Amino acid sequence: MISAIPTAVDLSGLTKDFSLGLRGVRLRAVDNLSLAIRPGEIFGLLGPNGSGKSTTIKIILGLLRPTSGSCRVFGVSSERVEARIAVGYLPEAPNFYRFLSGRELVTFYGRICGLRGASLAARVLEVIAWVGLAEAADRRVGTYSKGMLQRIGLAQALVHDPQLVILDEPTAGVDPIGAAAITELIRELKARGKTVLITSHLLAQIEDVCDRVAILDKGCLLACGAVAALSTEGKSSTDTLNAVEQAELAQWLSARGKTAAAIGGMSARLDQIFIERVERNRQQAEKRAS
Amino acid sequence: MNTVPFSLRRVGLIAGVTLHEALRQKLLHALVLIAAGLVLGVRALRDFNFGVSELKFIADFGDGAIAGFGAALTIALTAQLFFSEIEHRTALTLLAKPVWRTEFLLGKFLGVAAVAFTFCGLLTATLVGVLEQRQLELQVDQPDAWVVSHAVNFGMLWVAAYLHALKLALLAAGTLLAASFAQTQIFAVMAGGAGFVICHLQGLAQAAYERNGASLMTALATLIHWIFPDFQRFALPTDGGWTWIGLAQVTAYSGVYVGVALALAVRSFREREV
Amino acid sequence: MKSRLRTLLIAIGSLALTGALLDRMRPADPAATAQRGTLSSSPGAGALLGWLGGFRALAADFLWIRMYAGWEQRDLPGTQTLLSAVVAVDPRPLYFWLNGARILAYDLPVWRIDAEGGYDAVSETRRRVIEIEHARLALAQISAARRVQSDSIALWIEQAHIELNKLGDTAAAAASYRRAWEEKGGPYYAARIYAELLKRDGRNSEAYAWLCALYPQLPRDDEAADAPLVLARIRELERTLRVAPEKAFRPELAVTVGRSL
Repeated sequence: MISAIPTAVDLSGLTKDFSLGLRGVRLRAVDNLSLAIRPGEIFGLLGPNGSGKSTTIKIILGLLRPTSGSCRVFGVSSERVEARIAVGYLPEAPNFYRFLSGRELVTFYGRICGLRGASLAARVLEVIAWVGLAEAADRRVGTYSKGMLQRIGLAQALVHDPQLVILDEPTAGVDPIGAAAITELIRELKARGKTVLITSHLLAQIEDVCDRVAILDKGCLLACGAVAALSTEGKSSTDTLNAVEQAELAQWLSARGKTAAAIGGMSARLDQIFIERVERNRQQAEKRAS
Repeated sequence: MNTVPFSLRRVGLIAGVTLHEALRQKLLHALVLIAAGLVLGVRALRDFNFGVSELKFIADFGDGAIAGFGAALTIALTAQLFFSEIEHRTALTLLAKPVWRTEFLLGKFLGVAAVAFTFCGLLTATLVGVLEQRQLELQVDQPDAWVVSHAVNFGMLWVAAYLHALKLALLAAGTLLAASFAQTQIFAVMAGGAGFVICHLQGLAQAAYERNGASLMTALATLIHWIFPDFQRFALPTDGGWTWIGLAQVTAYSGVYVGVALALAVRSFREREV
Repeated sequence: MKSRLRTLLIAIGSLALTGALLDRMRPADPAATAQRGTLSSSPGAGALLGWLGGFRALAADFLWIRMYAGWEQRDLPGTQTLLSAVVAVDPRPLYFWLNGARILAYDLPVWRIDAEGGYDAVSETRRRVIEIEHARLALAQISAARRVQSDSIALWIEQAHIELNKLGDTAAAAASYRRAWEEKGGPYYAARIYAELLKRDGRNSEAYAWLCALYPQLPRDDEAADAPLVLARIRELERTLRVAPEKAFRPELAVTVGRSL
């Protein structure tokens, strides 16, 4: 008998309206969104500014209530405090208590999540080392660089060993070396069996790590699927390379002292898909409006 | 499914970090220094030379400094510590953990209340020091004018400090209630300040409804009297009249209003989109 | 909008209900009740500022200092006004009531007489009128004080002093001393002075009966009670009233019973 493993995140008909002003004019930030994130995958949430990504993340985290529809995290309604036991969250441009040291900050959040005593101390040491901040752990967070803030943010998100890790623009404003390091950490999370939900504007990074992506615009889901599938959709298979082939090609080129410039076209493909989908959606919206 | 029951431990953790943050606020340092400076500086008023009555004046001056600066500190700190979490989005990170919103608000309140109690204690200790020294000087300088009945009742000063602290805790709860639905920090501060004045003057409303017959204004005055706690209750009773039962009653009075204000704040904050 | 209105109504309702319930449990506070009645007579914004708890004591102190400054200059109207303001702002300290009454009764008449030419220039009758007028003001002050400090012995003693020294009303002073004695913890000397004033009024029999009833209540080991002095006065009255020896007061039969008068 196969036991039912709940999806990591299950959004069903999710809609969120915000009231603007006293006259109650409503802004629909998320419109009938349905998608499922499987356990153990890295899932990318893409969309232009104002597409509803942050709102969706906040609903998953229980920080906002949906106007209609449902959101469940490992089978538990996101509105319940219990749903957040299994969730770690790194906000966009994170801000933490500047007067605490890195170690104190992670310890604080660990205690909040119920860790205690020796196991807490060990876990704090482990995550801080894992994000590469062991040497800076006793400095105040207020003295950290942007990249260090991202790392300590990742540490606090992981201290309680959550099953689902939500990363909101994890590499925004970080230099390429730092961004690469964070990307590597994300891959390691997957290797450890974690489910990762990422939002990002840096599509090249998204397609490098994500198993599947969803594209949102004006609160609506435009596309959802594996990066490779979306890339090859409507094109002949000879025109594109999937991610595995891409990696093999990169290895082959590297063995011959060549660069990966030949793969540049693949990165552009996801950009193109993104732009095409969004543009198409807006044109259809304009037609409906007229 | 794992459950996450309400945890006083988490409340304590949040209160601790709130207190830690509060102690780093320059506003707190400034107000404590000014208040302490006033308490110490009141000795300069000895030039008025009204003999042993000077002790009463020093005590009242110090008491006024604790009340006034304590209120300013409590209102400003409560609003500041709440809104800094919202504006810097540290509340986002915290509430994304398995934390009840009730725990968050209670933690904020307890952190501020701890500052208020510490402030009252610290300044009262300063005042007691000033009075003790002056009392000794007067006993030596004016032995003929000195009678035991003129001696300062230091126990009363500590009772007054406790009553001030209770009042400030109530003020913190009220400001937190305003902050829970306010969109800006300045609104919360103004609401706290207005509440402070109304709670002190609501005795006038009570007098109005006791003197007048049935009317719309009487009803309004009655409503104001009921909605806003009476801060006159936290004044020391007439000379030498405090009792443990009286203190317990005032403590319960403050506790009930604090409880109701915090419950309303939690209800409001639950609806707030962070 | 509807949800905001609902939230606001719930908040108002909850707080109003809390206040109504707590109000019912509140014991009557004579000081607060009396104070609310006096606010309307207080001059200016200073009284309003003074109303703020924690500041009114301070405001009253500042007004008292201002009053002293005027007292030094013999500013009669200013002193009188500020004396009223001080007790309106903060009626709690007995100090303000007592010293205010003393200034009204003893200092202000002297200033007025001096202002009218001095004791040599002002006639005896006119001086008497002025002193009685200010004594009555002082007694009114004490009467007002009693609304706030109803069980104060010091107020009865002060009243008795003014009635005796300024109004020359022995009977009234006697009654006040008796009231002082009858308060819980009343001083022994008040009971003795009551008897002396009865004697002064020619009411020797009453004084004798009073002292005989008083003596058993006096603790023998308390200097303040001065039981031997009371006994000496009893004997003096027996001589004055020519009490027969067999009917004379017998202290050995008087068992110390504690206060009952």
